[in-house]
Amino acid sequence: MAVDRRKVAVFGAAFVLRLLLICLFPSLPDLLTGRVEVSTPVNSFKRLQEGLYLYTRNVSPYDGGVFHQAPLLLPLFSLLPDVNSNPIPTAIFYFLVDLVNAHALATISESGQSVQSRLHSAMRKHIRWDGTSVAAWFLFNPFTIATCLARSTSVFTTSGILLAVSNAVSGNTLNAMLALGLASYLSMYPALLFVPLALLCYDQRAQKSAQAPSSGLFILQHGAILSGSIAGLLGLSILITGNFWEFMSATYGFHLLVPDLTPNVGLWWYFFIEMFDSFREFFLGVFWLHLASYVGGLTARLRRQPLFIITSLLGVFAVFKPYPSISDASLYFALLPLYRHLFPLMRYTFFAISALLYSSLLGPAFYHLWIYAGSGNANFFYAITLVWSLGLSILLADSIFAALRDEWEQDHPERKGQEVKQV
Amino acid sequence: MTSKNGDHGSPQTSSTLKADPKPSAQRVPPPETPEAIQTRFRVIAAFWAVIIFLGFPIWWKTTSIYRAHLPIQEMADWADGKTCRPVFPLEIHVAAPTMQLPESQHLVRTTQHALDDLNEFAAHHLRLKLTNDTETSTAQGIDNTPITGSMMDDAPDTALTVRVVAQEGLATPRSELRADTTQLDIFYPPSQVPIPSSSNPPLSVFIAEELQRLYSEEKATIAYILSGGAAGRDSESISRRLRRSMKYADTYHLSFSLFTPGSAPSSWDIEAAVQEYLSPLLHAFGPISNFTIDTQVQLYATFSPMAPPPVYDETESAWTLKKEDLSAFINAAEWPLNPSIGNGPTLNFILYVPDPSQSPMVVKENRASSWIVPQWGGVFLLNPPLEQAGQSGSQTNPGHITQESLRPAFMTFSHQLLTLLGTPTTPASLPLRLQSLIRVRAATLLLSASSTMGSLARLTESLAAIPIPATVASSVSTTLAQLSSTCSHLREGRFGAALTSARIAETEAERSFFEKSMVGQVYFPDEHKVAVYLPLLGPIGVPLLVSLMKELKRLVAGWKARRRSTA
Amino acid sequence: MSLLIRLLQALALLLFVGAATAEHTSNWAVLVSTSRFWFNYRHLANVLSLYRTVKRLGIPDSQIILMLPDDMACNPRNAFPGTVYSNADRAVDLYGDNIEVDYRGYEVTVENFIRLLTDRLDEDVPRSKRLGSDAGSNVLVYMTGHGGDQFLKFQDAEEIGAWDLADAFGQMWEKKRYHELLFMIDTCQANTMYTHFYSPNIVATGSSELDQSSYSHHADNDVGVAVIDRWTYYVLEFLETQVTSANSKLTLGDLFDSYDMSKIHSQPGVRWDLFPGGEQEGRLRTVVDFFGNVQNVEIENANATDPGSLKEDLAEIARLVEKWRKRDEEYSAILGNSSQSQSEGAQSHTVQLSSKKPVGATKMAEAGSWGKRLVGLSVVGACTAVWVAGSILGRSA
Repeated sequence: MAVDRRKVAVFGAAFVLRLLLICLFPSLPDLLTGRVEVSTPVNSFKRLQEGLYLYTRNVSPYDGGVFHQAPLLLPLFSLLPDVNSNPIPTAIFYFLVDLVNAHALATISESGQSVQSRLHSAMRKHIRWDGTSVAAWFLFNPFTIATCLARSTSVFTTSGILLAVSNAVSGNTLNAMLALGLASYLSMYPALLFVPLALLCYDQRAQKSAQAPSSGLFILQHGAILSGSIAGLLGLSILITGNFWEFMSATYGFHLLVPDLTPNVGLWWYFFIEMFDSFREFFLGVFWLHLASYVGGLTARLRRQPLFIITSLLGVFAVFKPYPSISDASLYFALLPLYRHLFPLMRYTFFAISALLYSSLLGPAFYHLWIYAGSGNANFFYAITLVWSLGLSILLADSIFAALRDEWEQDHPERKGQEVKQV
Repeated sequence: MTSKNGDHGSPQTSSTLKADPKPSAQRVPPPETPEAIQTRFRVIAAFWAVIIFLGFPIWWKTTSIYRAHLPIQEMADWADGKTCRPVFPLEIHVAAPTMQLPESQHLVRTTQHALDDLNEFAAHHLRLKLTNDTETSTAQGIDNTPITGSMMDDAPDTALTVRVVAQEGLATPRSELRADTTQLDIFYPPSQVPIPSSSNPPLSVFIAEELQRLYSEEKATIAYILSGGAAGRDSESISRRLRRSMKYADTYHLSFSLFTPGSAPSSWDIEAAVQEYLSPLLHAFGPISNFTIDTQVQLYATFSPMAPPPVYDETESAWTLKKEDLSAFINAAEWPLNPSIGNGPTLNFILYVPDPSQSPMVVKENRASSWIVPQWGGVFLLNPPLEQAGQSGSQTNPGHITQESLRPAFMTFSHQLLTLLGTPTTPASLPLRLQSLIRVRAATLLLSASSTMGSLARLTESLAAIPIPATVASSVSTTLAQLSSTCSHLREGRFGAALTSARIAETEAERSFFEKSMVGQVYFPDEHKVAVYLPLLGPIGVPLLVSLMKELKRLVAGWKARRRSTA
Repeated sequence: MSLLIRLLQALALLLFVGAATAEHTSNWAVLVSTSRFWFNYRHLANVLSLYRTVKRLGIPDSQIILMLPDDMACNPRNAFPGTVYSNADRAVDLYGDNIEVDYRGYEVTVENFIRLLTDRLDEDVPRSKRLGSDAGSNVLVYMTGHGGDQFLKFQDAEEIGAWDLADAFGQMWEKKRYHELLFMIDTCQANTMYTHFYSPNIVATGSSELDQSSYSHHADNDVGVAVIDRWTYYVLEFLETQVTSANSKLTLGDLFDSYDMSKIHSQPGVRWDLFPGGEQEGRLRTVVDFFGNVQNVEIENANATDPGSLKEDLAEIARLVEKWRKRDEEYSAILGNSSQSQSEGAQSHTVQLSSKKPVGATKMAEAGSWGKRLVGLSVVGACTAVWVAGSILGRSA
């Protein structure tokens, strides 16, 4: 395997940058770990440590109601040395996970699936970044770096999703489903990606083999693999924790019922603080349905570009998840450069990017005003999270529009470059 | 809220709108390909499928109020007393060892007649039964109260054993109630053995009157309770007694406190005293209630500043408290007397040792040293012999109160406990009084659980918006089952078993009425509901509905066109 | 002789029937302020003044439920820290030495208030936070805060509607949680709050009619805010100057007649129709029936000999104790070993007395790190193995 020098340089630089950051600012990881923008109740490293402490002392990690993450993380982290006395190994472990993610991203990019799939071929194929640039974009994204330094466990979900996609585009559908199973096991919502991912696998398979396999059977088969992998992971978890219902209610129940309304960059917490108690359950249902309803619509509309469905869904999740953090946004931003060819078709990029920049700068400031200075109130921070979500939504809508426009141009090549207007 | 919803509405709105693949110049709207139309149909169908197959069930499930089915009619019937008319048939054994069998049978028959004639309250009646075994009941004392025996078998409890014994040298019959057993001895002159022909022998009349007298208070009390406190003889004294006594509870908490204004006495033999003087009584109460006990010693406990101080009375040579000032005696603000431990109500017993300078202390009116605070507890003023302290010659209280000197106090407390728990004052035998209390309590609990059922039934009907969890339904069915078993136990004279059932019924009834989740915003006006739904339905619902309408219109148009073409 | 006594008893009974139905056995007070923040100082002062009055008239702290949503005494803007006054003369510090606030701060919510009235509380809520009233209790409910047409705001965040309140009282009546109830409310449009009541034995009174505001009485310039509301001020004036002792014979009629619209600046209202006998009967209730406490102490006469008296009981109990001791001795004789049997006997006595064993803390085992690491290794190993197998199988497929 030929060593790509540029890639090695980028990966090395990213590694060194992270190492430098923790060496120069040793308190930075702990600071980031405590930030609500980075750490939510379901991915916080602090909570993981609490769970780990209980776990290593043979107490159920879910006692005390602090830890809400998947139980298999515990044996994994028990292999690493104690983070308080020796933080470097854990940090390096996270760096490596980041590099693996970047590598998966580079694989996805190099497959060219984003511009040229079985049913679709983009109009502006020439405008694209190579795998290394996409990986660099991911690795040097401040959101990614912050997530990595904060040792948020979302990075494992990210790995699961990216590995699933990279395996899908390289034709290994079995591993794709296994990786998606891992991601779903860790944070549940990636299970919604099953349909587009299966379509992606199907397209890959159909492209390679002479005759396309039956689509229904194919999806059933892969659904079975996915459920098998999730079931296997759950089985392992039962072996570790011993109490099935306890960990189910503490992890997935926690995701579903959203009992912890600690502020985060999402929209749920404020809404459920204000909601009348009697309507709480109803709106939980509404919010989850809202999140899930995009899957069907986007899949139907963008059937020709399954990878783009996955990207857009990840964007949707980053906005409408119950416990979103900037790591979800960083995953979306990581996949977006695959669609460099759509950028010329996007019209609100300036507005979206400035909204995102504005909110990422003002968010911490307003949070400080609210919580520490006491001179603001919850509305300050909530307004900023609204702007953040608005920015992401605009970016998302704009990119979907651009993709549709691209498809339309493909169907009507004669009109390429004409001024268009949405009706 | 509007802005929030508007915000998540927006991407969906935009995606649906953009789903219309018509981003073309307005001048030349390009023709839509059939695939595009089909795709659009699929998109709209996907959204609507989610709404119909997931959204509506969720809406239905989460906004409907769960109301478990309750047997309303049955509950109301219990409350109205239609289901059960409590009766109290007391079984009384008569043993006449000195009589011939026919004579004694005749005696029992005539006495029963006389009793029935005397009785004016039908629900409570005495049934006589001849028994030959003279020794059965003599051993039956407080320790094996009727419950222990009858829990097992179906035989009714024996309320009382009457032993009719001939005794020489008597002019008229004489009765003697054994104070520590449930036995009434009747001594009669041998000449008065009833002749089988006489219909109303004096001995029978005498026995009947004795029995009637023995149970008159209980009878009046039960009549008072069953009538809802409205009528009956002696209702004033009974209602006074009932008001004074605590509400029934499964568990009472007894709190014994030693208060003294100085530093001595600082210890007391409380454990031994409780063990010695109190636990027999508590054990005897076992079938009726449970008890928990705590004790405390509080030094430097002063009177409240507003309370009138005791006054020295020369004639009595004692410090006296006026009767009307006694209600201010307890310094409720500063004495730590309200321990919120456990579930049951607390009965406070205060042993107050006055300061040596104010000793002895008594109540002015009658030199009593103790009083009862209704529904709260009792107070006892203990004036221990003072000791000379060292050289100064001043007198002090002893530092320690021995078990023996606690005896009067604890005897009084026991008496106060009896009173506060509502024990009837007659007859003079404690076992009989406790048995009587069992019947009274069973009646009370039966009525109170029934009325709780009625309240719950009415509540369920009047507040349609209140949720009724399944636990309430199961509590209600337990209550009803226990109530009917109480009723049948009563009818068959098994009062101990009846009380046990009634206790369960009462607990379950209370639990069902006070179910924690049966509260919340009972009233939720409709305009609030609009305020809740509108922001949701506005931004999301309108585009979805519009797109649905468009799609339907297109389908209908297509269908018509096809029909026209075929026609 | 006995016949004569019977007759007398019957006569006495006839005389007492009327009185007996009117009698209550305990008094409870629920005093609620519903607003927080410094400029609502007067609402807390209203409640504390009333608290002081009912305590003065004999209701013990254990039977007063005091709900204060804020702590004015410790407010940093209070120029007289640690005190609350309801009058500019600052003669009486309402905060004093002895106040027992049962619900404070954010515990004062509509839900808690309704739960308190209906007693639908968790089992572990202490008795001091419960309204332990029963069928013989007279209950005084006093509320003050900011309200409007048929609602009263709680804490700026929520509100209680007149319907909710009526239903809560309805449930109290159903469960016999009060004998008679006096409801007092001082807020704007206060009289609308009691319009929906439907359960009997309630007398309700409020400070102002529909579309009328209730006003504050006066401000203390040093405190900087109004210190009491008008209606409450004049009610208290009546209670403090006229009802001087717990034996006062002044009636509710007297209290309500003392309302002077020219002083109160709003039209106070009284609702009698729920009370049996209506206004006529209700007016006769004494003020201390609701603001005071009944406590009929019963002295035990050590010399009386009537059945059930102390002396007779003492004899019976002594016999019981004696008998018990004998049984104990017999028991120990049977057992032979006296000391052991003593303790066992003691145990059998205290079956009912023994308390539950407290639940101990779970012991934390020290980290068995190697075991855990082995588990970790095997998990990672298993996952890797599946992954590798997947890659091989997937590629071959």
